[in-house]
Amino acid sequence: MDNSFLKILINPNAFLQDRMKENVSLKIPALIVLVSAIISAAAAYLMVTPTVKMMSNILSGMDTIIVLAAVVVTIVVTFISWLVYAGIFYILSTMFKGKGTFNRTLEIVGYGFLPQVMGGIITVIVALEYIPNVIVQSIPAGTTDSQVILAATTNLMHDPAMMAFTQITTLISIVFLLWSANIWIFGLQHSRLLSVRDAALCVGVPVVLYILYTIYKLGAM
Amino acid sequence: MKNNQIFTITCIGLLFCAITGFAGADLTQSLAPITGKVFVSSTTYYPEVFFTGDKGTVTFDVMNSNTNTSVMLNHGAFSDPDIRLLSNTYDFSNPLGPLQTRPFTFSIVADAPAGDYYPTFSLSFFDSNLYHKTLVQVDNTPLELTLLDKPDTFAQGNKKTIYMQVSNPRKNDVRNVVLVVSGNGTGATPLRSFVGDLAAGASVPVNFTVTPDQPTTAILTVNYDNGDNTHSVTMEIPITFGVDKTQANPVMSNVQVTSVAGIYHVTGDVNNAGLQTAYTMMVTSLPPAVPQDPYKNYVVGALKSDDFGSFEVTFSVGNATAVPIQLSFKDADGNVYTSVQEVKVPTSGQNGSPANAGSTMLPVIIGIVIVILFVGGWILYMRRNKK
Repeated sequence: MDNSFLKILINPNAFLQDRMKENVSLKIPALIVLVSAIISAAAAYLMVTPTVKMMSNILSGMDTIIVLAAVVVTIVVTFISWLVYAGIFYILSTMFKGKGTFNRTLEIVGYGFLPQVMGGIITVIVALEYIPNVIVQSIPAGTTDSQVILAATTNLMHDPAMMAFTQITTLISIVFLLWSANIWIFGLQHSRLLSVRDAALCVGVPVVLYILYTIYKLGAM
Repeated sequence: MKNNQIFTITCIGLLFCAITGFAGADLTQSLAPITGKVFVSSTTYYPEVFFTGDKGTVTFDVMNSNTNTSVMLNHGAFSDPDIRLLSNTYDFSNPLGPLQTRPFTFSIVADAPAGDYYPTFSLSFFDSNLYHKTLVQVDNTPLELTLLDKPDTFAQGNKKTIYMQVSNPRKNDVRNVVLVVSGNGTGATPLRSFVGDLAAGASVPVNFTVTPDQPTTAILTVNYDNGDNTHSVTMEIPITFGVDKTQANPVMSNVQVTSVAGIYHVTGDVNNAGLQTAYTMMVTSLPPAVPQDPYKNYVVGALKSDDFGSFEVTFSVGNATAVPIQLSFKDADGNVYTSVQEVKVPTSGQNGSPANAGSTMLPVIIGIVIVILFVGGWILYMRRNKK
């Protein structure tokens, strides 16, 4: 299994070619997505802590609920993103007369989440390093002015440590998303019987657009 | 003729009877050792020392030291060319029993200038006269009103204490000493200070406060009674406005402004560069700033000369770029002093410095480069794959 995971990362073309010879199985891909979701949830827990601290005075007693909600939502969103990626790739590949089932697409997209696990681990390490350095000032109790709360949130996002953390993790996520895209291109090529060019277009266009949007947001901070 | 003879004989008889009868009643008066034991036992002047023009009294106590013989006192009189007698002389005769004392009191006025005088008291006996001279002093030395301490300058509405001393350089005690403070807009408290009796050579401190409305002059008058004569001494103290050279002088330093959660935090130090202690030093922000929790006001406390304390105030502000920070403190009299220093605050859009802008662009560039490398790599891969 260890060799297989290494093969996914280093030589996804060969690994996925082999996988096409076997029946569709979502067990391993789902496990990969779950691990990725748990690690992302850990990162989300660390990232939401300053926000909870900031709003502790106006949302007293809701700290646990907020943290729990952030963790659960992150896990759910990770699984949803698995489906969304697979759906987009499946629809786009259909335009290129792709063949093969959606489950097979779902399977190869799930394998493609393996770099996300590595990216998540690095994100958690970076979060442990930077988040404690974020200076958080609680919003005064009784504040109901949305402008004040919005300004507080903006200021928190502009904290130097928080900005550094955001920039680093964004770049990390871009790198590992492109790594995933690399896997997805080979996976889509084999699962939907597409040419490399078509598979690259089906995966590359939405991924690159998404990354460009992420970069735009990073620049707009 | 017969009637004349009878009248003459009757008169001679009556005269004889009168002479013989009188001599029989005061038989002892003819003895000089008896009247010699009648003397003035004490003399009391009130007041003890006169001002020129003072009215008063002098009392001579005449004592009969004979143990078993009375004496007849006649015509008690007071005389002096400088000390004028206001009351009458004692023109009647009164017996003075053995070992008894009788006072002879005269009202007098000291018309004389300052100096020592020796008025005479005289008393007539049956066979002799008593003359008694005593010293009475006329001294025009008034009470001394001394300004012990006062602030260098005053300020409108600020209460300051003036320390005075009333001294009695006279040789006699004075009574009912009262210090009266007057003057327009002095706001003096108390206006009258009752000291009471003041012994000769004694001093007593008298303090009062002034809260002037305007530059003015405080007129201090010490009224006192020398005997039953009222006298006064006056002093004027100018109340001028200005800056006290020794007053506390708070100075802000090490001021740092941070903006968190829409709330500005101003931290810094307050140094007391004055010579007096600044009590209850407080720091707060003034409009357009709106003080916010947790540090709407910051009480630094008492700052001695050359001492310092840290402060932190929090406030929100609109689009203003500077906020006045007020330092207020009290002096020992409770007067409140304030000073304002403007502190520049960054507007909400200025949180990121130019350096931050640069650091924001760097990851964007890196991200784009990564994407270009990825896309380029795949294009290269596809071209090779075609071949």
